[in-house]
Amino acid sequence: MLVDFELVRRAQHGDSAAFNEIVLAYRKRTLGTIGRLIARTEDVEDVAQEVFLRLYFSLDQLRAPEVFEPWLYRLTVNAAYDYLRKQRRRPEFRMSDLSEQQVMMADAVAGGKAEHDRQQKKKLRETVDSLLGAVSEADRVLLLMKEVEGLSLRELEKIYRVKENALKVRLFRARQRVLKAFETAEQKNQNG
Amino acid sequence: MYPKQGGDDQLDSLWQAYRAACPDPEPSANFMPDLWRRIESRRNFTFSFQRMVRSFVTVAAAVTIAIGVYVSLPSATPPSEANYLEALAENNALDTPDSVGPVRLELNEPGR
Repeated sequence: MLVDFELVRRAQHGDSAAFNEIVLAYRKRTLGTIGRLIARTEDVEDVAQEVFLRLYFSLDQLRAPEVFEPWLYRLTVNAAYDYLRKQRRRPEFRMSDLSEQQVMMADAVAGGKAEHDRQQKKKLRETVDSLLGAVSEADRVLLLMKEVEGLSLRELEKIYRVKENALKVRLFRARQRVLKAFETAEQKNQNG
Repeated sequence: MYPKQGGDDQLDSLWQAYRAACPDPEPSANFMPDLWRRIESRRNFTFSFQRMVRSFVTVAAAVTIAIGVYVSLPSATPPSEANYLEALAENNALDTPDSVGPVRLELNEPGR
């Protein structure tokens, strides 16, 4: 927890200063998570504000301050999912772009954690965005929460309120689809 | 967790590269003022909506009471003692043909 339970309790009772402190503590992490989930830097702040807006108006429904973090993640996941659904952008698999990007990505990975410039980051985002076009918006968010955000199945279980086994199955299927798209793109790259 | 396949390691590398390429960004200077502006705006909208709903409920209740009072008040014209057919016969104009006048039953009709 980045804040103590007492602060959450105060915010639940309508203390605006306490709520402000909570936002200050969590905004950077929330911005990062949303940025990786939606892959659109220009809309990240807008979606993050929507998360905290929902938090403000739903804080009184929080059962206990101990479950604050899963609650905030849940709001983040829902806001990102709503954004992606509104965008309805399911781009076709861009083979030509992807081949070039994969070469770049392979170079970047091979070169370790070297400094990438803004353009490279943008291309990498586009690569992941293209691959995730192979799954639904809901699976995209779930997969990124697991693979990129690094949340455990137990944490995801709390956020989604779904049994661990059901999550495992869903994650496996989503990953298989993305993997297939990845391999198809690689094959195309080798042939081309 | 997953049975590993050929491209799994590469995919894992891709996730890691993506994570590294997208660090948590610094919020802009307007983040907090904009957030509070949105909160205030939503709160004002909610209050306006609640006030509108309350006004509507009050007006609906007043109209219901008014209709109830009107219906329960005794009528200004006293109810007629005559039954329906008699009232109809009384109001029957002279130029109305017999065929549309009140029905008369001749019980002692000859030949029956």
